[in-house]
Amino acid sequence: MSAKRMLVFVVIIGSIVLSACSGGAASAPTAAPVATEAVAEQPTEAAEELVPVDEGGLPEVDPGALTGEIYTAGSSTVGPLTEAVIEQFINEGFTGQIKNDIIGSGAGFERFCVSGETDVANASRAIKSSEVESCAQLTPARTPIEFRVGTDAIAVVVSKDNTFATDITLAELAMLFTTAENWSDVRAEWPNEPIQRFTPGTDSGTFDFFVEVVIQKPQKLEKIEDAKALALSASNLQTSEDDNVLVQGVEGSPYAIGYFGFAYYQEQAANLHALSIDGVAPSGETAESGDYVLARPLFIYSDAEIMKAKPQVAAFINYYLTYVNDLIGEVGYFPASAEALDQAKQAWLDAMQ
Amino acid sequence: MQIAQNPLVNKLRKKPRIGDNLIQAVLLICGIISVLTTIGIVFELGKESLLFFKMPGVTLKGFLTGTSWQPAIGEFGILPLLTSTLITTFFAMLIALPLGLGAAIFLSEYASPKARKTLKPALEVLAGIPTVVYGYFALTVMTPFLRALFGSDTVQIYNMLSAGLVMGIMILPLVSSMSEDALHAVPRSLREAAFGLGATRFETAVKVVVPAALSGIIAAFIIGISRAVGETMIVAIAAGSGSAFTFNPLNAAETMTGYIARISGGDVAYDTPEYNSIFAIGMFLFLTTLALNLVSRRIAARFREVYE
Repeated sequence: MSAKRMLVFVVIIGSIVLSACSGGAASAPTAAPVATEAVAEQPTEAAEELVPVDEGGLPEVDPGALTGEIYTAGSSTVGPLTEAVIEQFINEGFTGQIKNDIIGSGAGFERFCVSGETDVANASRAIKSSEVESCAQLTPARTPIEFRVGTDAIAVVVSKDNTFATDITLAELAMLFTTAENWSDVRAEWPNEPIQRFTPGTDSGTFDFFVEVVIQKPQKLEKIEDAKALALSASNLQTSEDDNVLVQGVEGSPYAIGYFGFAYYQEQAANLHALSIDGVAPSGETAESGDYVLARPLFIYSDAEIMKAKPQVAAFINYYLTYVNDLIGEVGYFPASAEALDQAKQAWLDAMQ
Repeated sequence: MQIAQNPLVNKLRKKPRIGDNLIQAVLLICGIISVLTTIGIVFELGKESLLFFKMPGVTLKGFLTGTSWQPAIGEFGILPLLTSTLITTFFAMLIALPLGLGAAIFLSEYASPKARKTLKPALEVLAGIPTVVYGYFALTVMTPFLRALFGSDTVQIYNMLSAGLVMGIMILPLVSSMSEDALHAVPRSLREAAFGLGATRFETAVKVVVPAALSGIIAAFIIGISRAVGETMIVAIAAGSGSAFTFNPLNAAETMTGYIARISGGDVAYDTPEYNSIFAIGMFLFLTTLALNLVSRRIAARFREVYE
């Protein structure tokens, strides 16, 4: 056989073999849910030495001297911030395994307090008393310690192609996410098109916070479940714990609206537009001063016994509290107040007694 | 004469071959494991679905006829998820069945051996592409194409049509390969008889060969349908993440499989409405594909032609 024919023969046989290997999979129905992964905000100053803004009395941490496993899970809002800290921690020499799952604040507390799988819970809302009780019922019991790590301003976003909505009142915001069908139902001069809503799901702390502040409190509803029912029975609703799905959805139509943590808005600021609420636009200053109504604290939670039993977890939290203010701007959120951060550092010192 | 004591007859008696028996037992165990797994799956699904139907406010009638699916606020009507599944399956079959059968007829009746050697592996490569890649293909290529065709206002960014069409492309090789096997099984004598009577190639293919292979082709169609009903990744990525009761394929609506993927992607506590609902839907899906399989076997048996 000539060389050319040999080559053609080999290529055909090769492709048949490859397709035969993969063709066997064609008849097996695929049903593999993919676990959502964190979106990592890459700090550009990866190689530089970070100087801690405030020593705050916390002992120095050398990541290179530590090893072991650290497992954190929870909020999709806090997720990117934790990812940035993890990235830095590993860059400075940590040799162990760190896992960060993005599943929503509620689900994060579930894993921390009910199944006891995680060492640290990320949350964009404070822990509930029912969750604290579940922690107490674990063996060994866990007492969650709250560490405030930052501030977020939930951005209510529309696509860049939406030129008619720029500033809305809180009441209009509630209507936009509950009872209104078309944009013109909220304001007569807006287009008569159906509102396409993209919101976080029921596992999300962002959802809980939004429903409480925008629907339950202004309408003076007794129970948060009633407010949640209003939010979830809205028409044209797409929910997801993965904020990237929401970003994609809102970018897709001028009649779409959604809400999520500020970092996801900032990342896509070219294609999105954040609405002002009652004349106040989301930013660092308005979030800190409290003028922006959708500002909320970001937390991580852990337990003293875990921190003592796993020194790498304690060191990680120490590192987090020391360097978070350097990284938080890159990620897209706003620093917590100095008092809040000092309180968190004091909580760390108390836990390690 | 005592036959049993005759040493020659003893030598002819069947000897126990331990190696053979062992291999037979091992292969039997392999078969039994798959049966046991199926029984285990059905048992688990049934047990957890029972928990679902025992919950207050959930009735079988409400489950099968309700038009709103929001477990967090106690609404458990499966119709939105079901219609979305059916609509995506419909569009998938619109692509997969005609094109698959057409490709099969070409490969079987018209293609030269050289064309066959290149085309068949190419089709099978299509089958080997991971479904998650198909999902992102639907979201990033098919949806913008549909929006260019129908206008960005009519086509939502997550929509059932895009997911359905890409599912069709994924299932096409399956339908084509099974149909082609069926067509190939028709004996040459039938074709040659048709040619001898003056039929054209097309007439032979459509009026003689396809009807003769009908049982296998219908089986291929039904396998394609059950594959489309059970497909998860493509619809989870491209069809939508919120349930909506709509018949407009350009709207976003979550399918049954997409819902299961989304809810189990987060974290669900045991014995909550969401957790139990996953199993109820899983049971429903299982029964649907089981029914389709039974129908397929019935039809295949009914149309089967036996040749000497």
